Amino acid sequence: MVSLSADARCGSALITNTRSCGNDAFVLELQLSAPIGELRAGRFAMLSPENGAGPVIPRPISIYDYDGGIKISFLIQILGRGTRVLAALRPGHKVSITVPLGNGFPETIFNREAVAVAGGVGCAPFLTWLRQREAQSKNTHMIYGARSADRLYELDAFQQAPGRLVCATDDGSLGFVGNAVQAVQTEIAEGRISSDAVFLACGPAPLLHGFAAWAREQKVEAYLSLETYMGCGIGVCNACPTPSSESGAFSDWPWVKTCIQGPVFRLSDIRF
Amino acid sequence: MLNTRIGSLELSSPLLTASGTFGHDPSALAFLKPGDLGALVLKTVTLEPRHGNPTPRMCEFTGGVMNSIGLENRGLEHFQQVVAPDFSGLAMPVIGNAGGHAVDDYVAMVGAMHEMPCIQAIEVNLSCPNVAGGSLPFATDPDAIQRVMQACREATDKPLWAKLSPNVTRMAPLALACESSGADAITVGNTVLGLAVDWRTRKPALGAGFGGMSGPAIRPIAMRMVYEAVQAVNIPVIACGGAQSADDILDFTVVGAAAVQIGTAVFRRPDAFSIIAAELRQILHQASTTLDELRGSLEWPGRVS
Ligand SMILES: Cc1cc2nc3c(=O)[nH]c(=O)nc-3n(C[C@H](O)[C@H](O)[C@H](O)COP(=O)(O)OP(=O)(O)OC[C@H]3O[C@@H](n4cnc5c(N)ncnc54)[C@H](O)[C@@H]3O)c2cc1C
Ligand SMILES: Cc1cc2nc3c(=O)[nH]c(=O)nc-3n(C[C@H](O)[C@H](O)[C@H](O)COP(=O)(O)O)c2cc1C
Ligand code: FES
Repeated sequence: MVSLSADARCGSALITNTRSCGNDAFVLELQLSAPIGELRAGRFAMLSPENGAGPVIPRPISIYDYDGGIKISFLIQILGRGTRVLAALRPGHKVSITVPLGNGFPETIFNREAVAVAGGVGCAPFLTWLRQREAQSKNTHMIYGARSADRLYELDAFQQAPGRLVCATDDGSLGFVGNAVQAVQTEIAEGRISSDAVFLACGPAPLLHGFAAWAREQKVEAYLSLETYMGCGIGVCNACPTPSSESGAFSDWPWVKTCIQGPVFRLSDIRF
Repeated sequence: MLNTRIGSLELSSPLLTASGTFGHDPSALAFLKPGDLGALVLKTVTLEPRHGNPTPRMCEFTGGVMNSIGLENRGLEHFQQVVAPDFSGLAMPVIGNAGGHAVDDYVAMVGAMHEMPCIQAIEVNLSCPNVAGGSLPFATDPDAIQRVMQACREATDKPLWAKLSPNVTRMAPLALACESSGADAITVGNTVLGLAVDWRTRKPALGAGFGGMSGPAIRPIAMRMVYEAVQAVNIPVIACGGAQSADDILDFTVVGAAAVQIGTAVFRRPDAFSIIAAELRQILHQASTTLDELRGSLEWPGRVS
């Protein structure tokens, strides 16, 4: 049976800094009460304000940056009530946090050419991923797409990170004109990326659906980091299921728990 | 200091998990300090596997969440072979929770749990409002409760709890039906039936349509139901609905609850049991009182004519 990862901890953390990114996103920096050890990229936390404000349940947010000690940060887009109350917090306030959760990106692909396909705030898990890959492999690309240049959050950080960065905007305000999946296709067609590479996608549902359709058609090896509604993040509530595929690794049951069996899935293991 | 009894069961704390909110996996216990959780109530198991409801299965409203999980579980056989062995040797009592659609289902479940050494007591879920199937929940009909609970009583001599539903007009006849059928305790209650819709899509917010409300918003409903049950019966009443702080636990205790189950509050803080237990010890110490002293001490206002 699949269990909650043994390194998950819960407690409170102190907000040390908040910084806005464009009009609708911010970076939340926290000081944990204790280090959480080495982290695979792509894992997440459940966050809520400690003063009881906001929704009854916490919000799942990917780990954006972690220094290996007690400093951790999150890149959060403000959508509704849960993220609004997080955005209203200030240094000195506390949050409740359960972390690290989920599986993260597969490590088996470290010696392969790999491509991160990110849309908007879906870039968050890839900063750590790019840095972690640097040690093992130089053959790393990130295709970073958004509606417009101002939605390419934390662009500086991604430009400074290891790996080759290709930006794409729907309105053409920066880089390739089109979405991240169209940019990938162009990169392959023009020989800068091999179709034998492994592709990892994270972003809004329309981008992921476009990515999945393309990856199936081209039969490339693809992984998706999914965002489903989550109640607990620790595998106890059954609110987060993703349908499993009939031939994949989870075929013994029609659902997988996105929180503890994901959020990163091999495309062939799920119905998406 | 927090020692509590539910009938013959001795617990280190009055705080219990609520079925379906702590899963089927002991690993979440790692968030807790030993002794803070009095007993672990497991998620409802049914005879046959159930795939559960379509998504979305959870949505929010001010002060609570609404769910329509639909009792997703892999059935009795999987529970016996895969789930239950993980729970042997735990420090706290483990309570199985049995679901069913007919008296025979419940009897088969209770009979099977009777044979499992790791299960110290059995809670019978008479109340889940989520499961489609046309008929009203057993928990709304004293005769149906009696048929189920009497048959379950014959299938086990382990402590047997009946979990009732708040989706009823009066609690007393239902609680009495449990007591007269030989139940050792009553859990009051389950989620409150509700509906959330989205006018933009013109659809219910949940994939199954209706949902069960839980969290702080339902606490006054649970409080009233616990009060009515405590007034009606002599067996222990276990409160469940909206508890999230030590004050809430003590409020339920004053109304007469033997213990309190905590569900939704765990989602925000998986270590809620330890936070609340610490708070409880501190409050009881400061107020120089005990759970036993507070239990059932509610003073009802006199009538002014
Ligand atoms: C594993 C995981 C990692 C995540 N990592 C991040 C991250 O690093 N940064 C970040 O900003 N967000 C991340 N998200 C998404 C984030 O959890 C949601 O945006 C957040 O829960 C919305 O809460 P809210 O209360 O602000 O919005 P709600 O009030 O819940 O919703 C407001 C509006 O946003 C829409 N919405 C809600 N959730 C999502 C979603 N997941 N995707 C698209 N639309 C949604 C709703 O339909 C509604 O229209 C992640 C989600 C998951 C599951
Ligand atoms: C996600 C979820 C799943 C639940 N599953 C079950 C279940 O399987 N069996 C059951 O008897 N009650 C189930 N319940 C009801 C809870 O046990 C509890 O009665 C209810 O949530 C009220 O308590 P709370 O407000 O503390 O959460 C579930 C509740 C939630 C939120
Ligand atoms: S979010 Fe609760 S089981 Fe996945």
